[in-house]
Amino acid sequence: MTEQSNNGFEPEITVFTCIYCAYMAIDTAGALRIKYPANVKLIKLPCTGKTDTRYLLEAFEQGADGVCIVGCPIGNCHHVHGNERGLARVKYTKKLLDEIGLGGDRLEMYFVSGGMGDTFANAMREMTERVQELGPNPLKSEL
Amino acid sequence: MDEHSVKPKHPTGAVMVVGGGIAGIQSSLDLAEAGYKVYLVENKSAIGGHMAQLDKTFPTNDCAMCIVSPKLVDCGRHHNIELLTDSEVVGIQGEAGDFTARVRIHPRYIDLDKCTGCGDCATVCPVIVPIGIGPHFDEGLAEQRAAYKLYPQAVPNAFAIEKLGIAPCRDACPAGQRAQGYIALIREGRYEDALRVIKEDNPFPGICGRICNHRCETACNRGKLDEAVNIRALKRFVTDKVYAQPRVSPEPAQRKYEQRVAVIGAGPCGLTAAQDLCKLGYGVTAFEALPVGGGMLRVGVPEYRLPSEIVDREVQDIVDLGVELRLSTTVDNLDDVFAEGFEAVLIAVGAHEGIRLPIPGADMEGVLINTTFLRDVRLDNPPELGDRVAVIGAGDVAMDVARTAIRMGSEVHVYYRRTREEATAGEEEMRHAEEEGVVFHWQVNPVEVIGGNGRMSGLKCVRTEQGLPDETGRRRPVRVPGSEHFVPCDNVIFSVGQRAGLAFIPESAGVGVTDQATIAINPNTLAATRPGVFAAGDATTGTSFVIEAVEAGHRAADSIHRYLQGEELEPPPKPELPVVELTQAEIGKRVELGQVHVQPRVPMDELPAEERTSTFEEVVAGYTDEQAQAEAARCLACGICSECLSCVYECQADAINHDMVEQVGDLSVGAVVLAPGYEGYQAEQSGEYGWGRYPNVVTALQFERLLNASGPTHGHVQRPSDGKTPRRIAFIQCVGSRDQTHDYCSSFCCMYATKEGIMSIEHEPDTEVTIFMMDMRAFSKGYLEYYRRAQERYGIRYVRCRISSVKENPQTHDLVLRYVAEQGNKGAEEQESHSPFAIRHSPIREEEFDLVVLSVGVEIPERTRELGRRLGVEVDEYGFCRTQPFEPLQTSKPGIFAVGPFREPKDIPESVVEASGAAAAAGKVLSSARWTCTEEIVYPPERDVTAEEPRVGVFVCHCGSNIGGYLDVPEVAEYAASLPGVVHAEHNLYTCSQDSIQHITEQTKALGLNRVVVASCTPLTHEPLFQDSIRQAGLNPGMFQMANIRNQCSWVHPDQWDEATEKSKDLVRMAVAKALRLEPLRKTEVPVQKTALVIGGGVAGMTAALALAEQGFPVHLVERTERLGGQLQNVHHIVDYGSEPGNGQGKLVWRDPQVFLQGLIERVKSHSQITLHLESEYLESSGFAGNFTSRLRTPDGESQATTTVAVRHGATVVATGGVEYKGSEYGYGTDPRIVTQQEFEALLASQRVSESANQGGGERRGEDLPDSVTMILCVGPAEWYCSRICCTTAIKNALVLKRANPQAQITVLYNDIRTYGFKERLYKEARRQGVIFVHYDFDRKPTVEIGDSGLEIAVWESSLGQELVLNPDLLVLSMPVVPSDGADRLATRLKVPLDLDGFFLEAHVKLRPVDFASDGLFLAGTAHYPKFMDEAIVQAQAAAARATTILGQDVLQVGGIVAQVDAEKCVACLTCVRICPYDVPQVQARFDGVGGIAGAAYIEPAQCHGCGSCVAECPAKAIQLLRYRDVQVEAEIAALLEPQPVGV
Repeated sequence: MTEQSNNGFEPEITVFTCIYCAYMAIDTAGALRIKYPANVKLIKLPCTGKTDTRYLLEAFEQGADGVCIVGCPIGNCHHVHGNERGLARVKYTKKLLDEIGLGGDRLEMYFVSGGMGDTFANAMREMTERVQELGPNPLKSEL
Repeated sequence: MDEHSVKPKHPTGAVMVVGGGIAGIQSSLDLAEAGYKVYLVENKSAIGGHMAQLDKTFPTNDCAMCIVSPKLVDCGRHHNIELLTDSEVVGIQGEAGDFTARVRIHPRYIDLDKCTGCGDCATVCPVIVPIGIGPHFDEGLAEQRAAYKLYPQAVPNAFAIEKLGIAPCRDACPAGQRAQGYIALIREGRYEDALRVIKEDNPFPGICGRICNHRCETACNRGKLDEAVNIRALKRFVTDKVYAQPRVSPEPAQRKYEQRVAVIGAGPCGLTAAQDLCKLGYGVTAFEALPVGGGMLRVGVPEYRLPSEIVDREVQDIVDLGVELRLSTTVDNLDDVFAEGFEAVLIAVGAHEGIRLPIPGADMEGVLINTTFLRDVRLDNPPELGDRVAVIGAGDVAMDVARTAIRMGSEVHVYYRRTREEATAGEEEMRHAEEEGVVFHWQVNPVEVIGGNGRMSGLKCVRTEQGLPDETGRRRPVRVPGSEHFVPCDNVIFSVGQRAGLAFIPESAGVGVTDQATIAINPNTLAATRPGVFAAGDATTGTSFVIEAVEAGHRAADSIHRYLQGEELEPPPKPELPVVELTQAEIGKRVELGQVHVQPRVPMDELPAEERTSTFEEVVAGYTDEQAQAEAARCLACGICSECLSCVYECQADAINHDMVEQVGDLSVGAVVLAPGYEGYQAEQSGEYGWGRYPNVVTALQFERLLNASGPTHGHVQRPSDGKTPRRIAFIQCVGSRDQTHDYCSSFCCMYATKEGIMSIEHEPDTEVTIFMMDMRAFSKGYLEYYRRAQERYGIRYVRCRISSVKENPQTHDLVLRYVAEQGNKGAEEQESHSPFAIRHSPIREEEFDLVVLSVGVEIPERTRELGRRLGVEVDEYGFCRTQPFEPLQTSKPGIFAVGPFREPKDIPESVVEASGAAAAAGKVLSSARWTCTEEIVYPPERDVTAEEPRVGVFVCHCGSNIGGYLDVPEVAEYAASLPGVVHAEHNLYTCSQDSIQHITEQTKALGLNRVVVASCTPLTHEPLFQDSIRQAGLNPGMFQMANIRNQCSWVHPDQWDEATEKSKDLVRMAVAKALRLEPLRKTEVPVQKTALVIGGGVAGMTAALALAEQGFPVHLVERTERLGGQLQNVHHIVDYGSEPGNGQGKLVWRDPQVFLQGLIERVKSHSQITLHLESEYLESSGFAGNFTSRLRTPDGESQATTTVAVRHGATVVATGGVEYKGSEYGYGTDPRIVTQQEFEALLASQRVSESANQGGGERRGEDLPDSVTMILCVGPAEWYCSRICCTTAIKNALVLKRANPQAQITVLYNDIRTYGFKERLYKEARRQGVIFVHYDFDRKPTVEIGDSGLEIAVWESSLGQELVLNPDLLVLSMPVVPSDGADRLATRLKVPLDLDGFFLEAHVKLRPVDFASDGLFLAGTAHYPKFMDEAIVQAQAAAARATTILGQDVLQVGGIVAQVDAEKCVACLTCVRICPYDVPQVQARFDGVGGIAGAAYIEPAQCHGCGSCVAECPAKAIQLLRYRDVQVEAEIAALLEPQPVGV
């Protein structure tokens, strides 16, 4: 890794993204060759409104160190309010994560429009650094 | 007008759309969906227009690219839309229904069928396109290469090459050296590549870099500015640079032909030909009499000018290709050569025989000949020279001789019979000789060599003078009588010319020789008189320069190749590109814009003269890297693309073709839609604002690019001068609008400035934004609210004034604006009017800003005016297209329609509306030909794979080097092959290339694949393409999955080979895991009820109904009242300020809309397809798009009662209009002298001041017309939303009154005058006629008192700083348009939303302006927002066109990615019903839920949008979204995160 390492811990970040603004922003980051950590990997959903709390928990269970949801800017959702529903579930899941001791900080939602490749990449760097601070997902050792 | 248009009997069902901006795209999509073939002609290399350049769009702040990109993709992939990019229309013939349009397609130089958009060409392109030439997507703020893609999301997804022609340097070079190309590569420090370009045309770069006579430099356009680029020195620099590295011998050429060619003479000509023939695949042997190769280069040019090692190396490069070089081999007889088996011979023996002057004593000892002398020196066998040497002649060879002799220690004198000016040696050569001590004697001619015992001791010379001109035009030297004199010298060296040594050609050889002792050849083919024998170079022309020998060598090789292949010897004609000659003015403009700076060439270091004479070391030292790059940077890149071929070498798809030529073709179309768009005003024409001179003055479009995250600064706004973030930004409005040269308003600048202001504050919250404007023209839906938010939430300051000039602080590059801030100041021109409220002296303010943004207006470029002329369509003096008032999209030529800013400045939604409207207008002409020119894609029958075990095929893409260059693609493919379920994995260079697409189809069939995974780029653009390929193999498109290992991996982890490879494996593993669980996506076909329901019988509803009926669709038109006509019944005058064609003079043109309305009503009533339901009301609907059933309440024919009827229809148009607000503001209703604008209009109409007065002169005064009128604009709700039409209506009525009563005093109290577009002309005319305009603020509104003396209206006049009191006869209130009664009830029944002001809300303000979010429902007219009659007509046509996209189909495909309820799990909790943004789920009793209890949710697949919100929310998990079932998504999660499978 050429990114700044934190005790050699390179967190695995799983990102759920809608197929509209967010996916386009991620494409744009690529087209503009804006780098971000290679451990960031994406799963496509039709809309962040489809984000199921179960998926978020599943990702942690399978060993993700951090999970992000990326959607269209509030007010610009292609399905009217899907991103707001997604946000509501993220907030709820954060609470659950706090309760079970995994910590809600491992989960975050971002809003980007299609051109904001830079913003997406920054968010991924920020998330990676944050999770580096938090350390590895404790469930992983039990896998 | 309609009545006159005749429907053609057999029209062509195709339409040409000109212009690929958003309007052209929308028109194309609507037409193609409605069943017409579309040719979309775009002059750039990609569609998208201005919208693609924008960052955000107002008023929703949507990312422009996010919303336009899907339309681009749809348009690019639509099988009935043919994109013709880089194209222009050159003419049209025929008539509506049957046109033949001629289109010219300019060469793109990249094959669209092969280009995969990988971008490798642009990465290696060395040419920077000068700003102002070609399309600069970033408005000149970012560097653009000659090989470019307009923007990342461009459609077609392909690169293009910008090439203007041949640079003069290349044109001037006999060998066509691509000087501009290698210069650009040198500037980039790519020396190896530069050498490669040179060697494309010339195998002797090191040689020519030293001794070429560089005609390129004479031709160089840069010479017109300061000095030509030092091209020769740059060439030498490159060879020095590369040759300093250890030599790598070139790969031997592949032998392709058995035939062998003999080349006699291994000089530059012979070796060039040998090289070419060897590369072509022939066996080549070069015979050379001398012991070294290189000919005259090696033995005729002194070492100090051309080191031997350079020659030897360049000769060796040719030998290494596989040319056999037989040195010291003299060919005595051509027959022997043929006898040895050579099938062709090239004679290139040069001109090595020096000429001895025929004077007495010329054969004495001590007399030498130039060529022999130089050769002996070069071959280390120098003759003895005496102390004093005389050289005869002053050509380049004479200089070589003289300077060589100097270096051998002699004193050297040059004698020449003509003047210095006539000497043929290069000036630099002579200068060097002089510096080294050579003494020149001009106009001196030797007549005898004097000596004794056979040994010379001197020369007898005479002096000459210039006589009469000879046959060469030079003046003949004539001996001066009595000038004989003796010159003592030890040696004389004749250097008066050379000729070929042709002794080996006896007469019997059959090869003719000319009188000049050269070989006779056909100059076109270089064929000598004997078949199979060719000759080239000095042996045919006499002495010339190396570069000519090279050129001749190339031509000889071509000719011999054609000869050996049995082809016609004459070379085929080649299309010639123009030579790019820049004019002084063009170069001057580049200097003015700071792109080019005057700077003479970088000097080269030379060895001091005193050191030179004792050594044969090189005199000229050559450039250093820095010097060379600086010199290279002086190149003006005249041709843009230099054909350096870097792209050709790099492109692995073999897509580049520099030999493309323009093509002209004819299209058969039935109608034409013109959407050529606009161009921003060229801000440099307003020099006072400093654009182009002050770096920190930018245009709004440039600022848009600065704001854009994909723009040149990645969305961080930076000042061009220093890259700092600007804190104080000023916008200057109306640059190129509403000024001396533009009498129109550009309509959208106020809003985009506001948007850009907001966005800059969003980016940097402490930015201060000031917008200098005359009026805020926020006249559309949501605009006023946006403007208010800009002020209140973002603190944007709006100053009403006109800025006259911008000054720059030269130290800081800050900008100083001086202005008089006046409330109510209407700009400079107002000050000249006769207003009693003239501006008094106010303090002038001065303010400094970091950045100034010019809100440039709309102009029609010359190109578009030319288009108008070519099509015979009338345009006005500004180039705007003239259209018909009651058929607003119809141009002066039937069958040709115009939309967008080409008609009048307008913003995106209105352009989109017009685009759809044009589709309906064209459809009216062509409806009988629908689906006659279209094609249907036929797929093989689908294979049922549900019972099969998964057989997954994985295709991993290299994307040229885009993926393959950054991660291990073969390893990823190998890994994929090891995954469970995968039966085949392979990797391809470009998976999306046409042959690979076909290959996937074939592999799918051959290997029996039932699932396909492609690991390549982004599914947003490429998924449909791959899905298509598996459909061709009989697989359901749902059985396809993609992994994006380019955008998400190789491109963003370029320095992490291992990590990127591992990540790609993860992504592929995830895709395969999902693929295993894929299921076919089923679509079902629902027949379409080809009938429309139109609600509302006003002008919009009637127009929509007619537009549909005239296309053959039955229409139910529902009107609540007892008569048709709606609000248009209240409009009595329509006025335009127009100019007649050919007459620049404008005048008011009055029209009576009632005549039009009556005609329209008649047509509606009499149309057989329209069923009229008067006094009827829409009640409710069921069903979905294509298949609705609606109930109407309608009068019972027999009784007084009403009855309910049901109608079945496929689409609904809502056109319920609006009404004038009638509130109690300003005393309305309390006094008959206070009326609304509509009432005032009725009053004016009742006085019949119409027709007769229109003729001029006989104006008749209405008896009850008031003498003084005050109008108050923006009453009541208009404070919250702009009612759009009131300003213009007020001005119109003022003009009507003025016409009847010119003495009438009219005062208009306004907040902003919003006469957008051409309506500005009416405003100007009203001011000219003395109507007085007084500004007021909403926080200090006018007051109305009704006193004894009449009306008393008080208003605060802020520029005067005092209150004005008016006592008019009549007070007219501009009441806004509000939605019709019951609009809210109708909205509920239709399940469609309203906006905050009660108007119907479209699906998307920008790009779906006439669609409701629910499919099958459309809206038009004032129900959407207040609008003028012509706007309502267009919108109604648009709604009809959108409805046609459904009604025109026989069946609709429904289903696909939709949510499905498992009723057995449903508890009917209504969560889904509540959550769905589209109101689709319904709990229906016909289904049994959990426990068999009646009632479960049902989601109609025809209505579901597939967002999955209900799925995620459903507490019982009773809903699943197809393709995103929980098991599928969870499989992806598990696969992504699972540890590497053991053993891999």
